[in-house]
Parts: sequence; structure tokens; C-alpha cells
Amino acid sequence: MEKNVAIVGYKMMNALDLVTSRERLTFDLTRGLFNELGIDRLAVDTTILDSNDFLDGRTISNVFLDPQAGVYMRDESKVEMDGLNAVLYACMRILSGQYQTAMVMALGLTGSQVSPYLHIEYTLDPTYDRQVKLLNELSAAALQARSYLAKYGYSEELLDGVAAQNLGNAALNPYQARRISGISKDQVKGSAYYYEPLRELHCFPPSDGGCAVLLASEEKAKELTDKPVWIKGMGQSIETYFLGERDLFTSTSTTQAAKRAYDLAGVTDPKKQVAFAEISSLFAHQEPLLAEALGLLDKGQAAGAYQVGETAIDGKLPINPSGGPLGAHPISATGLVRLAEAARQLRGEAGDNQVREAGMAVVHGQDGACAQQNAVVVLGI
Amino acid sequence: MGTLEETFFTPTVPMDFVYNYRVGSYVERYLGGFAEKKILGSKCPGCSKVAVPPRMYCGVCNKKMEEIVEISQEGTLENFTVGHVVLEKGQLSPAEKPYILGLIKLDGASSLLLAKVEGVSPAQVKAGLRVKAVWKDQVEGDYGDLDHFEPV
Amino acid sequence: MRNVGIIGIGYTPVFVSKRKDVNIPEMISEAVDNAFANTGLTAADIDAVVFGNMQTFEGVNLPHLWAADYIASLGKPVMRIATGGTTGMSAFHAGYYHITSGLHDVVMVVTYEKQSEGDSQVGLMGIITPELMAMLSAGIDVTGGSGMGAIGGGSAGGISFQASSYLHHSGAGIEHIDAQAALERRNAAKNPYAHLKDPEATAEKIAQTPMVSWPIRFGHICPTSDGATVAILASEKAAAKIADKVAWVHAVANCASDATTANLIESQITDPAEQMPAIIASRQAYERAGIKDPKREIDYVEIYNGFAHQALMYLEKVGMCEVGEAHKLQEAGELEMSGRMPVNASGGVVSTNAIGTSAMNRVTECALQILGRAGEHQVEKEVHKALAHGWGGLMQYVTITILGDKPKKG
Repeated sequence: MEKNVAIVGYKMMNALDLVTSRERLTFDLTRGLFNELGIDRLAVDTTILDSNDFLDGRTISNVFLDPQAGVYMRDESKVEMDGLNAVLYACMRILSGQYQTAMVMALGLTGSQVSPYLHIEYTLDPTYDRQVKLLNELSAAALQARSYLAKYGYSEELLDGVAAQNLGNAALNPYQARRISGISKDQVKGSAYYYEPLRELHCFPPSDGGCAVLLASEEKAKELTDKPVWIKGMGQSIETYFLGERDLFTSTSTTQAAKRAYDLAGVTDPKKQVAFAEISSLFAHQEPLLAEALGLLDKGQAAGAYQVGETAIDGKLPINPSGGPLGAHPISATGLVRLAEAARQLRGEAGDNQVREAGMAVVHGQDGACAQQNAVVVLGI
Repeated sequence: MGTLEETFFTPTVPMDFVYNYRVGSYVERYLGGFAEKKILGSKCPGCSKVAVPPRMYCGVCNKKMEEIVEISQEGTLENFTVGHVVLEKGQLSPAEKPYILGLIKLDGASSLLLAKVEGVSPAQVKAGLRVKAVWKDQVEGDYGDLDHFEPV
Repeated sequence: MRNVGIIGIGYTPVFVSKRKDVNIPEMISEAVDNAFANTGLTAADIDAVVFGNMQTFEGVNLPHLWAADYIASLGKPVMRIATGGTTGMSAFHAGYYHITSGLHDVVMVVTYEKQSEGDSQVGLMGIITPELMAMLSAGIDVTGGSGMGAIGGGSAGGISFQASSYLHHSGAGIEHIDAQAALERRNAAKNPYAHLKDPEATAEKIAQTPMVSWPIRFGHICPTSDGATVAILASEKAAAKIADKVAWVHAVANCASDATTANLIESQITDPAEQMPAIIASRQAYERAGIKDPKREIDYVEIYNGFAHQALMYLEKVGMCEVGEAHKLQEAGELEMSGRMPVNASGGVVSTNAIGTSAMNRVTECALQILGRAGEHQVEKEVHKALAHGWGGLMQYVTITILGDKPKKG
């Protein structure tokens, strides 16, 4: 990348029910971010919002959040995908040289306001899938899970282990929504099946949340913080829509997105060079699946790796030390929350979730059934 | 002033919109096939893949798949899941009894078709099972005509 | 900053009320295929795709996921932009930043709308419902004047406040709005891609159409169209290898004010004809483009006018003429294709409105004029620099793009 862009501040909020409105949440996130940085809205040169018209229940959803985000008589655009993609766009605006600072804000009230499952449902082909009515977010994820387990001969125990680890991490994290202290594999296994092999506790919880992040050019970053987190690389890719034509046991678009990000970041051996990862795995099986696609786990070795604690907070390569989306999935914001969590780690502010060595991090966000589209960002300090 | 929860106003806004979608000529032909109890697909002139249901574009080759071919009614169950819930309008509720959804590779097709699988119990179903299409008695050229698949 | 140029444009063969022969992705693929045919490029030449539309009109969430196989995007970065009515230009701006960031060289921007498939009320209800909720929670009487304006008028209600305020400030009359609609429908007759065409349109004929909400007549209002528009953008280096004639982007700008104080309710508090965002965004664009005297330096303008009066109003607001001057220029024939300040030779949005495309069509039409490829609707004067304008949101979100026939220096 021709210039250096840094994350200089972040603010996030998650709960199963935030008891708030979109406007209030927008204000709390952005005003909160400004207060922490000691700036006002005029210090933000451009804003990229990320909210979903369907989930908001209204069209042009961005204009209703502009004033609360401090965008009054100022520059703003809206990405309508997972929030990590909004970071890519904001970063492009700074890299262009046109702007010095860019704020990204994403939110979703899919715990209290609207069912989160409608998000994927409305992405489905209305001329076919929606008429046949067999495909939905959960049945698709279950097919992906079964395909992944069968491919490498893993048992459902892997899912229980991944879920228990994430939920345990989430219990330590005040920024998470679903926090079950003392969570055990047995408790996960005891939750009801949705679509086999996925049980309730293998899946993300409906939750409310949002995140605001301020990006800055190198010169500006130095004025705003003494702990900048640098964006080293970014990439994005997409697969075919048609589930029956995809290899569900892997994620080719994640590998493609990661390659673009790694090339920009100069990462040639992710397993060695990456310290930890924050992955938007909405279901337990997606965490090892996506970690493999990111080159962080060897294919076929996931069960062993999780068993010996390689991916735990104190492990060799911690994955989702924050607890990941099994702790909160504020749709539109999830990938942005992963970025903020990674920044938190890299600044040494992660409290009980702090990984030992935080040098370079991989952040991932997804869109579409079974992660049809994926974005990857590499961060470093 | 009461607590935030007490003073917080939460109106419910039911939004009921009716959309009328053009399915396009490929789905029309697919459903036309159903009226004759046939399963049709489209073939890519570039990679020769056969997509079921048929569609206009192959995204890999960026070519139009204008050749319509008839697919066998028999195939192999490659993947499946057992559903214990029903997801209706975004709301989850327990299913009356567990049901099987399968991704089936029909002989002659490249893409897997998602369909219900009956005639085998959730405990017994396995990948690799050979299955065949079961139609409704009265077909109308509608999506529900192809009712389910069952073991051969 | 890197220079970015438009090297290719593709439209669906027609923009009409109902495309019954194709489904959504099939329709979009037509514009993509046309863009490739017009440039000789193939999918392999495209580094990244930007995609935009106003999704509530079709009831498909993140439609780029379903359309991925039809828009030459598999294995590529795809970004979805959605800002309501201005989506077309916001998506274009995103394509521009993809290239100016230095990360990509050839980017395809895909926009569409297939409004015939939507519930006609869906877009309006999507806007009105939160308005009503906001009014209720603020204790405003929804059965009173502003409430009736919100419920009864929908988008047309607030717009009529805007139009009557504009007439008041500018001294123009409803006959000028009639004349503008007629002018653009006549222009549309020369544009093969326009929807509503009337080579014989006159102000008198427009004046005979039913009054919707004074001063908005039926004849002043845009149609709803099905259609898609694709633009292919390239960096200077890539363009040099691919295209001999390029329409260069000199500046992009955008400004948003407050949706809750710009719309129907507050039309009684603030003035929807004031359009501060248009003033701010256009001045910012001129500064970035190095333009000191737009009236002299801008040769051609495409204004997003879903309602005919907006061509006149925005011409003033973007500084192409003084307040009160637009209708005089119209009377003198200067806004015609043969005039000294031609506007909307394409027919404008008032003749063609597939919403997701409408703001980008303003850019592509400016490009066609600069490239000399507008065929029958090519304006008489030479076009070296052009301004494309888009508005959206609740009449308070404006995007501006300035194009030129040479790359910007410095």
C-alpha cells in the first residue's frame, strides 16, 4: 500500500438487547469515540456508514443516521455489507490522498428489533430458493458444517470444543452480548439441535450492537494517538451464489481475499507471521474452516489443534480471543467489531482476553449464506 | 422520570409488501419441465457444466448457458442435514418431527440440487445413498411438483 | 491524486416500465455485456466491481450476492454501495476511490433497478414509516397539516413544498416547470435509452396533465423504469493501453444534511428549496477540479430531476447561474441542446428513472457528451467539461461529479 493508514480509536457496544434506538446507538458510538479522542465531528473528513435497509426497516437508512453520527453538512457514503468492507472503503479514501481522517460506523439491532435470520433469507433468489423454501441461513450452515466434518473425518465434538472455547472467551469480555460464565462442552452439547450437526450454542445469538472506528493517515495518526494500529493489507473476494456448485468444506473466496491482503502486507507464512486472528465465524464449524482458508491452520489438523489448546487465548495462535460472533452478531457490524477487538489486543487493552504476543493480526468478515463473500484485513503495530 | 426502559417507546411496525418477480425464461422452462415430470438443466459451452435448475449465466466462464438438457431423475445423496426446527418469516419453532434436507447430485448434472429426502430415517441416512425423484400426483408446472427424493 | 477515466459505458437495450422477459440478474447482465461489447474488454480485464441499487424496491437484500455470477465478478473484490436515490453516483464515487487508492486499475461499476417487480408503495413506506414513528415519539399530531403532508403526499408532498418555495424565491412560474418537462421529453425522444419520449412535447400539453399537489403536475414527475447501467473506470496507465478516448474525472464531492429537518414535517421549519448540501458539494467539487468560474468553464450539465422543477432549481444551486436566472435562460432557449448552457440532453430523470442507475446515468451521459458519442442527443457546442449532479435521501443528500476531456493536472 502506497501510504500508511492507522486505526486511532474505536468504540463498540453489544448486548442481547441494548434497549436503545438506532439514532441513540449511533450517537453513543460516535460521540463516545470523539470524546475518547478529544476531537469533535469536524475532525472527521469523511464518514462511511454501514447499515442494512431491510434490517432497519427503511430505505436510505444512512441519511437517518447522518446527523447523529456528526455528519451534518459533511461528506458521507454507505456500504451495505459486513462492516469490515466499510473499513476497506474508508481506507481507500485516505489512500487516495483526498482525506486525512475517515470514520467508519456500523450497527445492527437484530436482537431486539428484527429477526437476524431475515438478513440471509432476503438475499436468497426470489425466483427459486425463496419459492422452494428449503434453504435458509441455518440449513445452509448445517450443510456446510456436515460437509466440513465429513471431509476431514472430524466428529461433532470439534463443534462443541470450538463453541465452548469461544463462549468461554466471551464470558470474559465485557464487550460481548452472550456471556455464559462457567460454560462447558457438555452444556454446549446439551443445547437443542437446529439443523444437525448445529445446535443452538454452536450458532450466533440474535443480538444488538454497533461499532465506530476512526482511521487516519500517518501524519494525522500521530496527532491523535500514541498507540496507532496500522492497516498492513486488505482484500476481498466472492464465490458463486449457487450453493450446489460450491465446495462447502472450504472457503475459496476467503483464501483469495487473504492472498490479496497478505501480498500487500508482505505476509508469506501466515502461520509463523500472524500472532492471532479475529474471524467472523457465525457458526462453530466456520471458525476452523475459515482459519484453514486463511492459512492459519493446516487442513485436516483442526481437531488436534483445538484439542491441545493451540487456538486458545494463551495458545500458539489464538483465534477469536474476544469470543467471536458466537458472543454477538450485530448484523452489519460484526466484521468491524472483529477489527476493533483486534485493535484492542494490539494496543494491549484487552483485559482478561489479552493474548500474550500481539504483533500482527488477521481480521475477517463475511457476507451471504455459508460465507459466499469474504473480506480480510491484516493489522500490525 | 422513570427508568429508560419505562419511558422507552417501542412501536411495532408491520410492513407487508407484495413483490411480483419475473422468474425469467430459464426458470419458466424448468417449471415447464415439471409440468411434464421432467428435470431440466442448462449447459455451459465453456466448461460443460450442467446447472440445475437451469440459468442464463455461467459465472466461471462468463458465458450464456443457452443449451437446455434433460437430467436423470436419479442421483446420489452427497450431503444432508436433519432439521429439528422450522424457520418461518425469521421465527424459529420446533419441527413436528425431524426431516431430512439433502444436496443431491443427479446423474448428468454438475450442481447439487437441494430437496427433501423421505423414506429413510434420520438415523439411517448416509451420504452416498442413491435416490430418485418423487413427484406430486397432479403436477401443475409449479415449484412444489417435485415433492421429494427417496431411496432407490 | 491518480487520474481516473471512464473508458466504457453499457446500458440495458431499453429502459421501460416493465421488463417482462428477464429476471433481475439477467437484466443486469445485458448492461455488463454491452459495456464489454462497447470496449472490447472481457471479464478478465476487470480488477474489481462496485454494485449499487435501491434494494427495497425489489425486495432482494445484498443483490450483488445473487447477481455475482452474472456480473463478471467471481473471484474478485465486490463492494456494495447503497445510499438511496443517489446510489448510482455514490457507487461511481466508490469506483473512483478504488482506483485513486492505488489498489486497483480497472473497476466496473454496476447499477440497476427493476421497479416493476416491487410494491409501488414500498419505497415510500420505507421513508414514511420512520417519519411517522419519529412524529409520534416527538408528540407531533399526525392528523394535522404536517401529518397529512407526510401520509398523503409521500415523496410528492415534500417535493411540492420544495417546488412552491423555489418558485417563490426565483420568480419562476409553473409554466416554466411545464416548459422544462416538455424540453426534456423532447430531448428524450432523441435518446434511444430514454423511457418517456415525446418529440412533440410542449408546455401546454404538460399543463393539461392532472395536478398532483401544487405546483407538481403529473407531467412533471419521473416514470419508474426497469434498467441497468454499467460504467468501466480505469487509471491513467490502464486507460492508455485500452482506450483512445476517455472522459476523465476531475472531481467528486458529496454532502449530507439532516434528514429529519429536511423533509415533510419540517418543511414548515426549514426550506427544502434551500439545498445547502448542493451548494456545499458543488463548491467543493469546483475547488477540487480547479474550476474558478463554472458558468464559463462547465459546458454541459446533467441534473438529477425526478421532478421537472429540480433542473432549474439545482442549476442555480450548483452555481451555474444566479437564483432567479434559470427560468430566464430557459425562456431564451439556452438550456436546449442548441443553447449555450445545455442541460439534460438525455431527457433527465424526468424521462428515465431506474432509480439505482439514475444518479450514475447523469455521469455516463456527461461522459457521452465529452466523448462525442451521444448520437442524436449530442449537444451543438463542444463539451470539454461537464457536471453531473445527483440528489437523494430526503432532498438533502447531494453528490457531484465533474468530468473533463483531458486528465486533470496536478
